[in-house]
Amino acid sequence: MGQVVEFREALRQAIDEEMERDSNVFVLGEDVARYNGAYKVTKGMLDKWGPGRILDTPISESAFAGLGIGAAMTGLRPIVEFMSFNFSFVAADQIISNAAKMHYMSGGRFKVPIVFRGPNGTAAQVSCQHSHCVETIYSVLPGLIIVAPSNPYDAKGLLKTAIRCDDPVIFLESELSYGDTMEIPDEEYLIPIGKANVVMEGHDVTVVSHGRSIKACQEAVQELTKRGVSVELIDLRSIKPLDITMIAQSVRKTNVCVCVEEGHFFAGISAEVAFQVMEHCFDDLDAAVERVCQRETPMPYSKVLEAETLPNPSRITAAVTKALKAAGKGGRLCHLH
Amino acid sequence: MPSKKSPPSLSQSFAVDHDKVIKQLGKDTLMEVLRKMLLIRNFEMRGEAAYQQGKVGGFFHSYMGQEAIATGAVQALGPDHWWAASYRCHGLALLLGASPNELMAELYGRANGNALGRGGSMHLFTDRLLGGFGIVASQVPVATGAAFALKYQGCQDRLAVCFMGDGATAQGTFHESLNLASLWKLPCLYVIENNHWGIGTAIERAVCVPRLAEDRASAYGIKGYTIDGMDFFACYAGFQKLYQEVLEHGAPVLVEVVTERFRGHSISDPGLYRAKDQLNKLMKRDPLILIKEQLMKAGIIDDDSYKALDKEQRQIIMDAMKFAEESPWPDAVVLEEGVYAGQYP
Repeated sequence: MGQVVEFREALRQAIDEEMERDSNVFVLGEDVARYNGAYKVTKGMLDKWGPGRILDTPISESAFAGLGIGAAMTGLRPIVEFMSFNFSFVAADQIISNAAKMHYMSGGRFKVPIVFRGPNGTAAQVSCQHSHCVETIYSVLPGLIIVAPSNPYDAKGLLKTAIRCDDPVIFLESELSYGDTMEIPDEEYLIPIGKANVVMEGHDVTVVSHGRSIKACQEAVQELTKRGVSVELIDLRSIKPLDITMIAQSVRKTNVCVCVEEGHFFAGISAEVAFQVMEHCFDDLDAAVERVCQRETPMPYSKVLEAETLPNPSRITAAVTKALKAAGKGGRLCHLH
Repeated sequence: MPSKKSPPSLSQSFAVDHDKVIKQLGKDTLMEVLRKMLLIRNFEMRGEAAYQQGKVGGFFHSYMGQEAIATGAVQALGPDHWWAASYRCHGLALLLGASPNELMAELYGRANGNALGRGGSMHLFTDRLLGGFGIVASQVPVATGAAFALKYQGCQDRLAVCFMGDGATAQGTFHESLNLASLWKLPCLYVIENNHWGIGTAIERAVCVPRLAEDRASAYGIKGYTIDGMDFFACYAGFQKLYQEVLEHGAPVLVEVVTERFRGHSISDPGLYRAKDQLNKLMKRDPLILIKEQLMKAGIIDDDSYKALDKEQRQIIMDAMKFAEESPWPDAVVLEEGVYAGQYP
C-alpha cells in the first residue's frame, strides 16, 4: 500500500510522526504556526499540536537558532525552520560556533540534537540574496551533518532520521521541489544518514549529485540513454558524512565520473567528491573528473541568466560526453556533439 | 580616559543590610563563601603564573576583581539551574562543582582536563554549566533556550542564568534574546557583569546609555536592576530577590552588576589604557577586602584565620598545578573522537 504525496506533505508527515513519538520534539521558526509555514510544510500542525510545540518566532534568526541550540543542549529536540537557508547566515555564529562545536568542545558533555531545515538554493528568480546554495559553507564544519533529499520518499525517511539524530543536522530542501509528488509507503520507514543511493544503475559513467539537481541529471540521463550511454546516477542523500564507499565502487566499475551540483565550482561539493574519487580511484579513472556547477557569480535575477548558470540537462550531457570522449569511450555515443 | 568613577545610579539597587545577611547565612556558610572566593582568586593568580611559565596557552581571561558576583549568585540560587557564561568562566566553573584539578588540567591541555583538553580556558563546563562561550554574547540565545526548555518541561523552580560582559550588550543577540524571552515569558536571569571595558574600549564609548540594565530593560517590558558587584552581600541579597522575582513573575529579569576587572581583558593585555593610580584606587574595593572587613566586624574571622584559609586555598591550587603537570597529554589517536555524538556509517 502506498500514498501519493507532495514533497511538503512527506516532510510534514515526518515531523508529525516524530512529534507523536517523542514529546521533546517541537518546531519553531518564522510563520510556521498561524501562517502554516511559508511553504506550507507545517500546515495544520498548530491546530493539532498547539502553540506550545509549534512556535511562531519573531524575525530573529540568531535568537531562535540559538534558543534551539540551548534547548537541544538541555534535553529537547528542536526543529528550526529557516524560511530560506539564506536567512541562516544571520544565525551563522550560533550554527557554527555553538551547534557544530559544542559536543567536541565540551568534552562530550553536551550534545546538540537539532534539525535546521528549509529551502536551499535557487527558487524562481528570487535573485542574489535568496538563492545561495549553503551546503559547501556548512559542509566544511566538523560537527555538522548535511542532508539534502531529492524526492518526497527520501525527504520523509531522512527527516525522521535527522530528528532522531543526536547531532545538529542541516536539512536542505528546495522551494521548487515542494510540489513534487511521489508514491511513498503508508508504513513508517527511515533512511540512514551517511548512505548514498544508486538512483539508476549503469556501466559507462558515474554521475554524482544531490538535492534538486538530481532531476536535471535524470533528464540528462534520458537523453544519454537514447544515445546509447549507460549512466550510473548516484544521489548523495547525505553530503556529510559523504558515502565515498558507494561512489568509489561505482567509479571502479565505470572508470568515468561527472559531478553535478547547483552550488558553485570553487571549493564546492563536487570539488570534494572529485578529490576523494582521485584519492580512492586514481588508477581506475580513464579521464579527469568533470563537474557541472553554478558559475562563479551571485544568482542573477533574469530568468535567461538564471537558466544559464544552473546545472541544466544540456550542460550535464555535454560534461558526460566530454568525459566519455576523454576516456576513449566516445564510440559509445551514437551521436557525438 | 573615560571611565566610571563610581557605580552608575544605583536607583534600583538593593540596599543591603549586611548584618541581616550575616545572620541569615551564619558563620559556617560565610566561611565557605569566603573560601570559594579565595579559591577563585588563587586559581586566577596561579593560573596566570602558569601561563607566564608557558604551561598554559591560548587566551586566559582572569576573573580577579569579579569574584563576588558569581559567588553571590550561586550562593543565592543554588547550583541546580542552567548556567551560561562568557569566556571569563573559571570562577563559575569552580563554583558549580568543577574541581581545581580538572580545570587546571584543562588549562594545561591534558587528557583528563575538564573538556578533555579540547576547550581550554574559555570553554569550561559542568553538568549545569552550558559553557564558557568564546564569542561575545553568543551564550545569550543559548541560555534563553535553556530557559525555554525549563518552561517546556514544566519546571517551576529552576531558571537559566546568563552571565555576560558589558560589551555583550551591544551585540544583536542581546536584543533578540531579551525580546524573545520577554515575549515568551522565559525564566531567565540575564546578568551583565559591567567591568567597564570591552578589551580596551570603555563602555561609555560602546553603549549609548549609562545604565546597562535599568536604561534598557523597559524596552523589553521587563525589570532592570543594578547591583554593587564588589560587595558579596549586595550580590547575594540582590540575586536572592531576583531569583524569586523571575520565578514569581515567570518572566526574565535584567541586572547590571557593577564591578572591576583587576587585570587586562586577557593575559596578553597590559591594560595601558587604564591609569595605574586609577586601578589602585579601584582595588581598594577589592571584593575580598570588602568581605574580609565585614566578616571581621562580625567576629567571624580575624587576620590569622583569613590568612590560614587563603594559604589552604593556595595549596589546593598548587596541588592542582602539580596534578595538571603530571597529567597525561591527550593521545593523538583520540584527536578525531567526539566530533559527533552519534555513529554514522
